[in-house]
Amino acid sequence: MSINEQIKKDFTTFTWVLIAVAIAVNIVVGQLVSLLKLPIFLDSIGTVMVGVLAGPWAGGLAGLLTNLIWGVISSPVAAAFAPVAMVIGIVAGLCARYGLFKTWWQAIIAGLIITVFNAVVAVPIRLYMFGGITGSGADFVTAYMLALGKDLFGSVVVTVFTSNVIDKVVTAVLAWGIIKALPQRITTRFSGSMPTAA
Amino acid sequence: MSSHGTTLYIEGRSRLHGCHPFGKVFFILLVGVAAYFEPGNAATAATLLGLNLVLAVTGGIFPAMWKFAWRTLLPLALFMLPIHGFLYPGNHTGLLTWQGITLYEEGLRFGGTILLQLAAILAASLLFVFTTHPADFIAALNKAGWPPAMAYIVGSPLLMLPAMRARTGVIKAAQQARGLDSGGNLLGRMRALPPLIAPLVLGAFTEIEERAIALELRGFRSPGAKTSLRMVPDSTAQRVVRRAILAATGFLVLHGMVW
Repeated sequence: MSINEQIKKDFTTFTWVLIAVAIAVNIVVGQLVSLLKLPIFLDSIGTVMVGVLAGPWAGGLAGLLTNLIWGVISSPVAAAFAPVAMVIGIVAGLCARYGLFKTWWQAIIAGLIITVFNAVVAVPIRLYMFGGITGSGADFVTAYMLALGKDLFGSVVVTVFTSNVIDKVVTAVLAWGIIKALPQRITTRFSGSMPTAA
Repeated sequence: MSSHGTTLYIEGRSRLHGCHPFGKVFFILLVGVAAYFEPGNAATAATLLGLNLVLAVTGGIFPAMWKFAWRTLLPLALFMLPIHGFLYPGNHTGLLTWQGITLYEEGLRFGGTILLQLAAILAASLLFVFTTHPADFIAALNKAGWPPAMAYIVGSPLLMLPAMRARTGVIKAAQQARGLDSGGNLLGRMRALPPLIAPLVLGAFTEIEERAIALELRGFRSPGAKTSLRMVPDSTAQRVVRRAILAATGFLVLHGMVW
């Protein structure tokens, strides 16, 4: 079976629309949150929801394309972090598949797991492509760790972790809450792991 | 598809605008590999940056690129140069000392190299983004045999954005009319988040069914080739150049790994 046919089999029209809507949601929510001047981004909430509803592949695709499209509409710098967004979707999908995302505290655990994998991909990009600095407030953490005598790698790891952990946990919990509030008519459409077993 | 104001695309009739989108994407790849990996030094990055700027002039997008690059790179440089200049772990050659704080050569070199590399790849990506209409890129994907659904998920978010932004404004106004305070301290702003985001996301996700049915009715999943309204001009010469760019990229990667 060619990849084309495999995709056709796994992804229904519903899944494709879900991904498209999630990409738009990521971008709009990301911009809204940056207006509120909060220390979080929430720009992967749609990606996490796709991962939970339609599985890791759909989630990964939603994340990847969000950042690539972001690269076209506001800044190519976002495109450099597309692999990170992809991993967030894949990990969210896997977490849901293994039964997380059923309750709010499980969503918190899923958020922490996402943070870890987020760091695994984001650290090399931040380190080798950007020399550890991306021109945001998080750079102060890097500077502080360097001043404490840590090496560049260690400083970037700490920076990526601390600047993402709250964001990913809030994202996961919000995604859990919104999916729970979605009408069953929508959620039952997806093959993905249903979070609302109760 | 109209994307005026939504994307960074700048209308134009230059040769760069007429280049096949894939050629420009492969070029970004080549610049990235050459600037970062092999040879991957400051001189290469500076040369490529110069080349990209010349290309931008021929495409009539130089003013836009110049402005955009500064807006992106200046804040980065303001963090990069001091942080690495003072604190880079490999620092040992002091350049100047003032009140017990020393600026070091190694850190400045490191930061400067990274900035040049970033500038080179940013300029290459801007050549693509400024001169390629998203619809042309999607049409090119279709023609190359990518599934039409792929074209849909690349293109439709761009079309959904304006409507969704408008809805964000409506939700914000409605919640504020009910007494939501989106200003105030950090905790208050955090608390304002769910009432703003939940209706927006819920609304968007409940629309999925309607959109899916509309697509099905229009033969979204019908087999067979779809006809595209847009034709992306291509030529044998362009195809040869594209292959050459890919081959050069592959050669650099191999060269960097083996030698």
